[in-house]
Amino acid sequence: MRRKRVCFVGYGSTEYSRKSEESQLGHYATAIRAALNQTGLNKKDIHGLSITTQASPDTAPHVAEQLGFELDWVLNADYGGAGGVGAVRRAADAIECGHLDVALLVGGNSFDRSVAHQRPLEYQRGNFVDVYGYGGPNSLMALIQRLHMENFGTTLEQIGKIAMAQRFNAMNNPQALFREPMTIQDYLNSRMISDPIRLFDCVMPCSGAECLVLASEEKAKQITDKLVYLVTDAEKVHYQVANMLPEKTTFGMKVVGEKIFSEVKREDIDLFEIYDDYPIAVMIQIEDLGYCEKGDGGKFADAHDLTYNGDFPVNTGGGELSVGQAGLAGGFLHVVEALRQLRGEADGHQVKKAGRALVTGIGWLNYGRNLGTTAALVMERRK
Amino acid sequence: MAEARAPQKSLPKINPVDRPFWEGAANGKFLLQKCKSCGKVQFFPRVACVDCFGELDWIEAKGTGKIHTFTLVRVPRNPAFKDELPIYYINVILDEGVIIESRLLGENKENIKIGDRVKVRYEQTHNPEIKLPCFELT
Ligand SMILES: [Zn+2]
Repeated sequence: MRRKRVCFVGYGSTEYSRKSEESQLGHYATAIRAALNQTGLNKKDIHGLSITTQASPDTAPHVAEQLGFELDWVLNADYGGAGGVGAVRRAADAIECGHLDVALLVGGNSFDRSVAHQRPLEYQRGNFVDVYGYGGPNSLMALIQRLHMENFGTTLEQIGKIAMAQRFNAMNNPQALFREPMTIQDYLNSRMISDPIRLFDCVMPCSGAECLVLASEEKAKQITDKLVYLVTDAEKVHYQVANMLPEKTTFGMKVVGEKIFSEVKREDIDLFEIYDDYPIAVMIQIEDLGYCEKGDGGKFADAHDLTYNGDFPVNTGGGELSVGQAGLAGGFLHVVEALRQLRGEADGHQVKKAGRALVTGIGWLNYGRNLGTTAALVMERRK
Repeated sequence: MAEARAPQKSLPKINPVDRPFWEGAANGKFLLQKCKSCGKVQFFPRVACVDCFGELDWIEAKGTGKIHTFTLVRVPRNPAFKDELPIYYINVILDEGVIIESRLLGENKENIKIGDRVKVRYEQTHNPEIKLPCFELT
């Protein structure tokens, strides 16, 4: 039984044809525009987007970026023939939970083989980035780091301090690929990859996996007496996508942080597991989360001990920078480390008072801006 | 016997959405999308205005702007670019108020600074019909 009523408020369709010059995205846009016209809703009223398609695996964040939707909820409802129903169910769940109030559920395909159909990501990178000889994510983060250094006077030593602290944390973590000490000279002397990004700014791709088990409170109590609760969580997808001159050194984490800290006090967090594809990304998130003013991340790194026995413990097991990045396990690594800390099981790198942890995740380096997806959650140990 | 093919530099796969942009570039024109409803200009080419979801027209940009940020690519994703390293990969704020990712060329590129003025310069690719809008310092 639904706890709240969820309603259908409108629809939009395109023409059907066997030959069409229109791209798949063009079809999506036509159907969405018709639905907006029928309902009188504005694009800004739409907070969720679900994409259901078969022929080309478009992911909802890429479709959202190219249609200009700034969202609180996305879904790839790629469940074959059940995709329509599946999308409706999940959207209803999300609406009941209060994540969003209006969701667009789009299904479509284009089977006209004469049209060069490209996935949104291929289109954006293939046509406007790859052609110039860029260096992948390292280059995109380099653009952001350059700007942070230029605008705020952030130094390489301050950025390197984050990498060093995490390496210190990794020294007693048997899972970490890199456990030898790192000095600031090691950091500064590491090979230049895409100025000012150096080798020791980059995560090492590797193999591995992480697993998490979640349960209801009732069920959880039957499984363990080490109860760790999900206290609050939030996400922002394509923060300021419609702004053609976005503030590149501010991520959606700014908005995510505001939501998190409307429920939990900033000073009540004991440890921070901050997604670390690059040290500069950690620094910017510390700013966005409000632990210092925008641009003061370098000074913050100077003023605090970021190791597991310091006053602001960050990535207490070494993070992805020292453990390694096993593809999409990277986002789970931080949650698992938080769980380990809260359960008091982080042998050799245990934070003394580990009652409450903040975990973040970031992803999708976007065209001309910064990150497409940002999310965070707070976990807490309770009796 | 077929020889091993050398890696090719990437080219755009032009589609109906961005065809005007590439046709413009081939003819020395820098085209940007402008919303018919709210008047905002955007880049890269898409199927709707990312601000109000309105339909789009094309306008010709001046092709001038300033360096917003940059990096020197020393490890390119596509090895076909290896002979040209480092690549001066740039973000330009066009005078129309949009950010373009591109590449800085020309004699003085080693002197690049954030805020420097640049102008567009069209580079011929190995496909005779495609030119890439790159930039040089003014
Ligand atoms: Zn508009």
